[in-house]
Amino acid sequence: MNLKLSLPKGVDEQSVVFSLPFDIDRSAKRTDGHLTATKEKLSVYYNGELCEQFLLEDIMEIEVEQLIGCSMLCVKDALGKQKFVCAFSQKHFMRFAELAKIIEHYLKTGIFTETTDADEPACPKCGISLNGSKKCVYCEGDKGVFVKLIKRLAPYKKQFFFSLFATFMLYAFDVINPIFQRILVDDLIVPNNADWALFFKVAACILVMNLSSVGFRLLQENSNYKISTAYGRDLRRDIFNKTQDLSMSNVAKRTAGELINRVSGDAATLQDFMTRQGKDMIFQTVALVALVIIMFVTNWKLALIVVIPLPFAAYLSIKSFNAISIRYSRVWRCQCRASELLHDVLHGVRVVKNYGGEEREIEAYRKASGKWADAVKRADILWYMVQPPIRYVFTIGEFCALFFGGSMILGGQMQLGELIQFTTYVYMLYGPIQWLTSLPRVLAQAKVSAGKVFEVLEEQNDIRDNESAKDIEIEGDIDFQNVFFGYKAYNPVLKDISFSIKKGEMIGIVGHSGVGKSTLINLIMRLYDPTAGVIKIDGMDIKDISQNSLRSQVGVVLQETFLFSGTVLENIRYAKPDASFEEIITAAKIANCHSFITRMPDGYNTIVGERGYSISGGERQRIAIARAILHDPKILILDEATASLDTETEKQIQDALDRLIAGRTTIAIAHRLSTLANADRLIVLDKGKVAEIGTHTELLKNKGVYYNLVMAQRQTAKLKK
Amino acid sequence: MIKNTESVFEVDTLKILTDKDIALHKAESGFLNAEAFGETYERVSLTRLVPFMNEEKYISVTYKTEDNEWKEIGVIEDIRKLSEEKQKIVREYLSFKYYIPVITKINKITDNRMGYLFLEAETTAGPKKIAVNDWWHNFRMIQNKMLSVTDADGNRYCVPEVEQLDKASVKKLQLFI
Repeated sequence: MNLKLSLPKGVDEQSVVFSLPFDIDRSAKRTDGHLTATKEKLSVYYNGELCEQFLLEDIMEIEVEQLIGCSMLCVKDALGKQKFVCAFSQKHFMRFAELAKIIEHYLKTGIFTETTDADEPACPKCGISLNGSKKCVYCEGDKGVFVKLIKRLAPYKKQFFFSLFATFMLYAFDVINPIFQRILVDDLIVPNNADWALFFKVAACILVMNLSSVGFRLLQENSNYKISTAYGRDLRRDIFNKTQDLSMSNVAKRTAGELINRVSGDAATLQDFMTRQGKDMIFQTVALVALVIIMFVTNWKLALIVVIPLPFAAYLSIKSFNAISIRYSRVWRCQCRASELLHDVLHGVRVVKNYGGEEREIEAYRKASGKWADAVKRADILWYMVQPPIRYVFTIGEFCALFFGGSMILGGQMQLGELIQFTTYVYMLYGPIQWLTSLPRVLAQAKVSAGKVFEVLEEQNDIRDNESAKDIEIEGDIDFQNVFFGYKAYNPVLKDISFSIKKGEMIGIVGHSGVGKSTLINLIMRLYDPTAGVIKIDGMDIKDISQNSLRSQVGVVLQETFLFSGTVLENIRYAKPDASFEEIITAAKIANCHSFITRMPDGYNTIVGERGYSISGGERQRIAIARAILHDPKILILDEATASLDTETEKQIQDALDRLIAGRTTIAIAHRLSTLANADRLIVLDKGKVAEIGTHTELLKNKGVYYNLVMAQRQTAKLKK
Repeated sequence: MIKNTESVFEVDTLKILTDKDIALHKAESGFLNAEAFGETYERVSLTRLVPFMNEEKYISVTYKTEDNEWKEIGVIEDIRKLSEEKQKIVREYLSFKYYIPVITKINKITDNRMGYLFLEAETTAGPKKIAVNDWWHNFRMIQNKMLSVTDADGNRYCVPEVEQLDKASVKKLQLFI
């Protein structure tokens, strides 16, 4: 990332290490400002004049704060007083955040980094934000994307060639057919000539052509089908595999809906483009050129009359398409909004009924539906107004050809058969031309889909195994050494976390909501890598353990248990696909779920999940515990496993959990501190740091953060009584 | 029992701040300090509670505790009910925090059909070429009246009342809203 974008007037480039422009002053007015940084100080310039300086030795903390429409850089001095440094629009945000990170690092370590390897936040060519991507989807040339798409055709090149060949042959028959018609009309029908030998020759040729066309059509369809299914299948497979390989932070950048769309929608668009339109592009272009040549050879004067209006008609067609497509995309948006509203209201029908909101919702839907109908009307009116004249301009050449061709026949310069052959070609010419006018739209759609698909396929995984990473048998010792982490590097959630957990220990993690408890366990599972510091398992850096080996030995029970659509048996077996039925029942018994499963209509074959038999939260949780028991993890993580349950169910689950915990390193997060009564030690997090570590009794004696949490909960419990 | 309730749950009530209740001044640090109910607060934050409905009404005044938690001092019901000087301070603060240039005229809108919408517009911060990605989400009407635009960098723009724009601008906009 370039952190020396521009310099204030009169400042020598060598005298500063970093220099960033900013564009907003303290009164929210546009300004031409610069912030320069050296190892000693930050200097603020407004319109080339030095206005303020901050010595780094006086600064304790530096941070970038995002406001609603702009952001600002602030520093904190030794007395904890915050000072405003400068403000800027969001396009400068990432650069100032990176600069703040470098200075923060210097303040902590005394090491001043003069360069940064962070990615450029904006495309250097068009200036549009890259949103974390390496390539600008907008600027990347069509060529690159299309070459990649064509390369993916390599495994099916034989079928592609057959399909193209068959298409050309079929088209050649279409071109040859009018020649036979001309012979029949000019040599046999008009002169009333009973030349049976010629008639049978022509008839035989037409018959052979028709029979062959059946064969070629079969070859074309068969090849198309093979390419289409294989191309789509391979593309979907590759995108899906990639989504499974990517890290949580990679995946979390996009919503599930967006990824689903890329796997199905975009892959289908590309499948269609490559197997139909891609081939058509070659074919229609060749057909157009060939037809024009044939027409000019047949009768250049008539050909000229037909061809002259075509560029004008094509131009009109493209222009009208742009106007119409904007209106139809508005129809699509109105339709989506009406559907969203419908989905919302039907989904929340209980709330609507409870609050008597029926009238309001009827009115809202009436408006949305009316807007949609209005959008359709506007788009259709334009379509029906514009299309007939354009079609007329397109086909005007045909009328002229008939008029002038007819005159030529009457003048004896042309024969009837010749004119029939010629007008057939004219008619055939409109197909490729109309197809080519839609080409920009087809290419744009394919480019958008290809851009999205290749963005996923070529994405670098954030979490990568070290080259020396290996599979290990985990014992269960965990070490955190000065770990820092933030979902955004400039905004740390966990700061300087250090602690050790011994094999078999039961550790409780407590702290206020949002303090970073779940983040901490995400780091143990290596769903994210720390920004700084090291996490060790059995004395080995977590990055040196293969991710597969690590995760196969870490078990998790979360607050919200996800059950896949399928049977109870399949859901428990998910943890160990080769588990025997006996093992599954044993796990279910330990997890206290065997008894309720036996009461279900189809026992272990009962379908659960989104469209299956509905089961309670407690039952779900026990299935999750059975899954974890079957997994037999060396390290067990319980993230608010009993938080959403009533006291009675919690007790049943707690029994199951106690059996699961025995002998394993267990890390439990619980809001209800009573749940952690069995913990050997408690780690208390506060403001992203480890505030206290100790047993329940020790921490109560300390009268620190934990003591306050316990007291607050006791008071609440008393109130409930 | 009642005592217990008081010690555990301090029920949060709406405190309306009148002109007499609060003193505001801009500190040398560049931030806003406040005095209210006998307490002094440093670096207070003002937040519009209903920014899309009324920019001048219901302004929450908060401060950061030592535990890094934001606590509300009270709510200014209407900026116009404050003294001239305070009105100036509040408005200046809000125009900085909510730095959202207003679009005054639209010269051109193009949809490149790759998820981007380009606006060439006149704004209160000068002429702009605004690139909006994922414009389904970032270019939308609020309450059928106000247009809110967030560009690819995260900068925000708005048209407080679309119908108040000149006819040509409204015509261009109508295809996209």
